[in-house]
Amino acid sequence: MTANEYLYDVLASQALTDDSDEIKALQKHRADVEKLLRDEFKDSALTIRYAGSKAKGTMNRESYDLDIISYSASGDTTIGETLQDIYDNTKKALAKKYLVEQKGSALRLKSCDPENLGVDFHIDVVPGRFTDDTKTDAYLYQSTGDKKRLKTNLDVHLEHVRESGLIDPIRLAKLWKVRNGLPIRTFVLELIVIKTLKDKKETGISEQMEHFWKELRDNSANLSVEDPANPSGNDLSKELDDNLKAQLASAARRTLKQIDESGWEVVYGEPEKKEKAEKVQFLRQAASVAVAPARPWLP
Amino acid sequence: MSHMWQREDPAFYEREKVAVETAYPNLHFVEDGDIVCVRGTFPVISEGQVIDRYSVELQLARDHPVGLPVVREVGGRLPRHADRHINAHDGSACALLPDERWRVWPKGAPLVDFLKGPLHGFFLAQSLVEAGQPWPWGQWAHGAKGVFQFYREILKTTDLHVMITFLEYITAKKPKGHWACACRSGKPLRKCHFVLVSSLREKIARKDALRSLQALKAAGDSAIEMTEAKPTPAT
Repeated sequence: MTANEYLYDVLASQALTDDSDEIKALQKHRADVEKLLRDEFKDSALTIRYAGSKAKGTMNRESYDLDIISYSASGDTTIGETLQDIYDNTKKALAKKYLVEQKGSALRLKSCDPENLGVDFHIDVVPGRFTDDTKTDAYLYQSTGDKKRLKTNLDVHLEHVRESGLIDPIRLAKLWKVRNGLPIRTFVLELIVIKTLKDKKETGISEQMEHFWKELRDNSANLSVEDPANPSGNDLSKELDDNLKAQLASAARRTLKQIDESGWEVVYGEPEKKEKAEKVQFLRQAASVAVAPARPWLP
Repeated sequence: MSHMWQREDPAFYEREKVAVETAYPNLHFVEDGDIVCVRGTFPVISEGQVIDRYSVELQLARDHPVGLPVVREVGGRLPRHADRHINAHDGSACALLPDERWRVWPKGAPLVDFLKGPLHGFFLAQSLVEAGQPWPWGQWAHGAKGVFQFYREILKTTDLHVMITFLEYITAKKPKGHWACACRSGKPLRKCHFVLVSSLREKIARKDALRSLQALKAAGDSAIEMTEAKPTPAT
């Protein structure tokens, strides 16, 4: 199997089809969230849409988030006068059913069921308000940082990724981020992939990935990205500070070394194809030969 | 005093780092201020194949390797529930009872042995429980009950007061041979359980044994009920 064939196998094993259990569960969650918000804010004609990887086509089975925007119309103050009011009131509404964590402009939904406390639904709700009646640009409240208002445009973001011609390397880069626990925002990682591979669209996927990692390894200090929806107004430099650049460079260096010394499978492992029953059988087998297992406890 | 083991012994730090990163290609050592963390994806492996993966963060103790790492599953997959051995308040996992450490990650063993042994077992067990299976090696009850269960196995007694005396000897500065044996046989310690006490003093960190002693004392009479409590048996 060539490196390219292997990487396409990895991508195939990470694909989420519309009829998969994961997507069905997400769709159910989205319906629940939408109903909750519409019931709560009956007088507001909210625009509720998928954003993020679901809309961009960059989802991976191993780690996926569902981003949902919930924008008020321009001039609509039903949910709140200010952007912060909209954010806080949306949070309050969602908190009736979920454990809600603030995450920049988004509200992260987790389980508040005592049996499953804190289990992450991987759903981010992004409240905001359209800037005008064209319903394109929107203002978001930012719960962190000095700048509290962010202008953005979902369609520009989606188009930037969807039209990049780099969906596959973006998915592999996202999987690499997750596997290596790298604390970079997915949106910023996507922008880096698109920027570093803009002249490599016609090359094979393995070459693209190696180029991407070499750029991180060799040029991380000069790495910068711009928000395509707001190049001058949304400063992303704080999302890519020196510490993070060093971590990216280090992880990229290690990945390239692994490929060189041991091949691609060390990076992404064997593509997973196991069914649940088979997985349990393997787990039980592993348990029967475990070295130094301990019984868990809790103080 | 703030320990920075990684600065005090850089060669040891490097050995730990290389051993872990060689065995686990997706785990990285990251220095976060004066704390060393290991972050990335932890694989559950069977016969060389990855069966499952968890996003983890291990915060190594300031006195590593004396202290146990604080383990967190950071992918939001495990519920913060006592029955899953995850602390609700901070998401930390309790992969083992610290007193039991000598069995599974003895003093002086490298960090990679912790990962291959108790940590692998912990996540393997979590995957099974998630799939509706029982804990493969059983589980200790929470709090003092679990402590009681552990020492009942080690000391082969269900008498809480005997257990407490043993723990007092284990945590004493220097147990004397003429002391009455903790087992209440009426014999002096040197002619009865001296070897066992000495052996446990070697194996169990004093601070862990002290914490257990305090937990059992605090549980008091209610601890007697623990004589009925059995650890969930292995399947």
